[in-house]
Formats: sequence, structure tokens, C-alpha cells
Amino acid sequence: MDIFSVEYMEIFSIALFFLAYFGIITSKNIIKSIIFIMLMQTAAVMFWLKLGAETSAMPAPPIIYEADLLERAVFIADPLPQALTLTAIIIGFSVIAIIITMLNTLYRHHRTTDWGKLEKLVQ
Amino acid sequence: MLTFLIIIPVLIAVLLFVLSTNRAAKILAIVFQSILFVASVYIVIATREADIVTFVGSYDDVLGIILRVNSLSAVFVLLTTFIFLAVSVYSYSYTEKRDTRTFWFLMFLLEASFIGLFLAGDLFNIFVLVEVSTLVTVILTMYDRSKRNIFHGKVFLMANVVVAQFFLIGLGYIYRLTGALDMERVTEALGLIDGSNLALPYVLIMTTVAFKCTLIPFFSWTPKARIYPNAPTVVAAILSGLQAKTALYLFICFQDMFQNIASQEFFLVIGIITGLFGAVMAICQSDIKMILAYHTVSQVGLIIIGISMGSLYSYAGGLYHIVSHAMFKTTLFLSTGIVIHSYGTSDVYKIRGVMKRMPVVGVATAAAVLGITGAPFFIGSISKYFIAYDAPPLLNIVTIVLSLGTIISFVKFSSIFFGHSELVGDIPKAEKCRIIPVFTMGAICLAGGLFGTQFIYHLFRFQVNISIAGYAQKSAIFVISAAAGYLIYQHIVKGNAVLKRLGAVNFSFKSVCASLGVFFAVLLVFIGFF
Repeated sequence: MDIFSVEYMEIFSIALFFLAYFGIITSKNIIKSIIFIMLMQTAAVMFWLKLGAETSAMPAPPIIYEADLLERAVFIADPLPQALTLTAIIIGFSVIAIIITMLNTLYRHHRTTDWGKLEKLVQ
Repeated sequence: MLTFLIIIPVLIAVLLFVLSTNRAAKILAIVFQSILFVASVYIVIATREADIVTFVGSYDDVLGIILRVNSLSAVFVLLTTFIFLAVSVYSYSYTEKRDTRTFWFLMFLLEASFIGLFLAGDLFNIFVLVEVSTLVTVILTMYDRSKRNIFHGKVFLMANVVVAQFFLIGLGYIYRLTGALDMERVTEALGLIDGSNLALPYVLIMTTVAFKCTLIPFFSWTPKARIYPNAPTVVAAILSGLQAKTALYLFICFQDMFQNIASQEFFLVIGIITGLFGAVMAICQSDIKMILAYHTVSQVGLIIIGISMGSLYSYAGGLYHIVSHAMFKTTLFLSTGIVIHSYGTSDVYKIRGVMKRMPVVGVATAAAVLGITGAPFFIGSISKYFIAYDAPPLLNIVTIVLSLGTIISFVKFSSIFFGHSELVGDIPKAEKCRIIPVFTMGAICLAGGLFGTQFIYHLFRFQVNISIAGYAQKSAIFVISAAAGYLIYQHIVKGNAVLKRLGAVNFSFKSVCASLGVFFAVLLVFIGFF
């Protein structure tokens, strides 16, 4: 019952996802919301990685043709989720960077990062 | 070959950026845009026999990334190139002092991402391109860097990022269930799986799609972010005209994919509520562009009603309404831009006398208004007729009420036509390059109504017929609703304080995300029990 093994990653990722979502709903500070969004992205990525590492999923490894290597190459991770998660991580990081830039501009002008106060100031 | 459709807008973008804002750059942009438009017309004709498929990088069938055009996406690509062509001609004489190179760079990148979205045959490509188009859209709406726009743009972007994570996990479930991300294979594979196992991925993905379609309860992020006062008019035109259409395209694709789940009634109800709510909010606004933006929400609700009703006629009506809505909304936004520049304000209570000052623009706008309210012989009436074709009587009444709501909000809007106003803005006379696209699209509003069935046949390959008796009945109902709408406006709506306060209802970021959870839970419960 190794709790850090692959089988439990799915439950963890879904739990983290909804925990982060709950955090977004209840956070008063914009920076906290951004951090919770990053946690949601991490949860989604973790879910995909777990998909790729399921040892029973791949019936045959994609590129090996020699028969002797084939016997040793039983546990191959699926490459598609790995490519996907790379793309998702990059998209996530660049979008967060833009969000933080926008927040920086607003902060320089209004000197607050509170959701309620900023909404009132911006009207 | 399809890769060129995506690459050419990017090349145009780079070309415009390098050559800067002189005339040559803009003329080249219009020329390339026309070439793209001709290519998309060709594709619409060519996909009537078979889908066109291109494998990116010339890999084999199973290994490569696929770009696929079927007849539905061909129509969307056609819409995209046409609207961008109209917008390029419109802004030929853009004399704004902002950095025009960057603006056009971003606009053509946006076009590339839209076309890529419609051509993508792979679910992950769709995810990436949705993110790209959201990002470019946000940058465009914040273009004038006013703090209010930056704040609303930030809320927009953060909400979209949250929603994208829902989409990713739904994609994960789909990948695990079917082992593929290619749209055709997923559709085949999901057809074999029983509906009860598909509940969670379906709900996750439809939450995302419904959010982007601005269905209830997500209606409020788009108008505030898109067009709050200073966003450039062409951006508002593109966003209202096209962004909603990408989300509707995704809605149609995913409803097709998950055909074993019976959620038609749910989306029918959501569509009705969205339509009513959008119309009510549109009536409450005092800014011309906000009226148009909230009205888009209402029309999207109507389209969802058409698509979810389940009969061939209403499906065809829904699809045709997508095209007609794009047409008249873009016309209205572009002509509104001309009006705002001519009068210097966008307050609907202050602008008067458009017909006298700019007759051609006034006529085109009137055509679009008649189209949008469903006047007989204009384009809106055809699609509304088909949506309500064989609907049960209750739904018929609902669509009539929705049309009434539209009529009331446009009675408010058309108060700009007559009367007299002293205001003069910075570009008093409408320039020819701006009139041409507005007038052309206004003419299409009329032509699309007169030749409605031919258009539906050529675009969507549906053979539908209009019965004269039914159409005459619809026209009679329209005249009665128009009169009723005018009376209601004059006596109830005008100067109503409650409505004014309702118009300022604004969801904060936290409420938007909370409504995500509410929608998710409601849809999950619905699927779980039916």
C-alpha cells in the first residue's frame, strides 16, 4: 500500500483539482487565486501523467523491432501523454506569466491586490 | 494543402508587422485576405463530395496530426475569412494613433488560430488553439491599456484558464476510454461505450464548452471584457461575430461525439433561459455596443435551442442562424463604429439622426436590425422560422417571446435613427472604405432572407422547404410583435429605474468560478439521473 505509487496518483490529482478549485472560489487575494490556478494546472498534468504510466495500457511498444529487446521492454510509458503534458505545461506557464504581468500593471496603478477593492477602484 | 490556410494569415501578420503601416502593407493584406476567401469558397464547394484531409508532416494515417475539413467546418472557415476580409477593408484607412502594426499582427494571428481551430482533426490541437485564440483575444481587448479593460481582460483570461483545466481532465478521461485523440476515431469509439460511463468526461468537457458559449450562468464575462468602452470596434466585431462561433462549433462537435448521452432537454432549457436572460440584459443597457454584446448572448441561446431540439429542420435552422447571426452582428458592430466616430459618443440616449447624416450607413444598419429581429424577407426570419418549424406549442411561444425581447432591445437601439443631434465626433463623415463592407453585409442580410433555402442547401446540404402559409403566419406574428414591442418599450421600459440597475449587474471572478461548479454539479446530476 505504497501511497506514493502510481495507482494513487489519480485520486490525488482529482482531489488536488477540486481543492484548488475550492481555493479559487474562496480566495480574496488575486495572487492566491493565481497560485490556485497553477495548482489546478498541476493537477491536470498529474492526471495525464498517471494515464501514461499505467503499466497495463500499452499492448506493444511503439518503435522496437528486435525480438530480444521486446521481452525486456514490457513496461513502456505511453509517449502521447508526455507530449501533451509538455504542451500543457508550457501553455499554462505562459498564460500565468501574462496574468501576472496584467496584475503588475494594475498593482502599480492602484496599489492593491484584493479582488473586492480592485473591482471598486476600477469602476 | 490545408496547412496553407493556416500559414498564410501568419505570413500576412508578419508581413504587416515588417512593412509597417504604409499603404502597401494594407493593400497586400486585403489582397491576401481575398485569396484566402476565394480558397475557402473553393473548399466549401469541394467538401460537398468528400472531406479533405491533410496529414501534417506527411506521416501515415495513424501516426500523424490530421487537418480535416468536413462540410460543417468549411462553412465556419468561410465565415472566418469573409468577416476578416470585411474587417480588413473597413480598416483600410485606420488613422488611429495606436501602434497599428502590432494590432494587425495580432488580428491576423487571431484569424490563423480560428482557421486552425476549424481545421483541426485532433482534440489536443483544439485545446491548444482554443488557448491561443483566447490569449490573442485578451491582448486585443486590452489594446488601449486602460485600467478597466486590463482588469476585465484579466478576469476573462483567468476564468478561461480555470475552464481549460476542466477540459484537460475531460480529455484525459476520453483518452483513457478510447486510446485516441483523433476526432473521427473518438466519435466511433465513444459510440460503442454505454452512456453511463461517459458521464464524468462529458460533464467536464461540456462545462468548458458551455462556458465559452456564454450560456447561463456564464453570461457576464464576455460583454464586460469584450467591448467595454474603448476596445476597437473591429475587435468587438470579430469577437462577437467569430469567437462565439468557435465555441458553438465545439458544442456541435462534442454533442456529436458523445452521442450516447441524452442531454438534449437540458441544453434546450439552458438555451431558453440564456435567450431570455440575454434579451433582458440587452434591454437594460445604455451603451450601443453593450446592447449588441448582450444580444449576442441571447442569439446564442436561440442557436442552442435550434441545435438541441432534435429535428432536422430546427438543426438546419440553428446552423443557418449561426451564419446569419455572424452577418448581421458584424454589420451592426461595424456600422456602430462608424456612428460612434461620427458622433463622438456611444450613449444610445444621445445619438440621434443617423439616417439623415449618413443615409447609406443608416440603410445598411436598418437592414441588419430588420434581419436580426426577424422581419420577413430578411435573413433572421428564415432561421427563426426553421428553428420553430415543428416545435411543440410551448416552445413556439418561447421563441415568440425571445423574438419579442430582441425586438424591444432593438427598438431601443433604433432610436438612433431619427431625430436630431448636435454631437460631432472626430470622423464626421463616413469614409468609403468603411461604407463598402457595411453595405455589402447589409445587402447579404437581405439576400440571405430572400434566397434562404438556396443558401441552406449550398452551405449545409440540407434540403428544406418553406411553406407559404407558415411563413405568412410568421410574418403576421412578427408585425404584431413589432407593434407590441414598440408599445412595451415606450410605456414600460423607457426610463425604468429597476432595469437600469439590472443592467449594471456584474459577476466578480469568484462568482464566475463558483458558477462553474454549480453548472458542473447540475449537469452531473442531470446526466446521472436520466
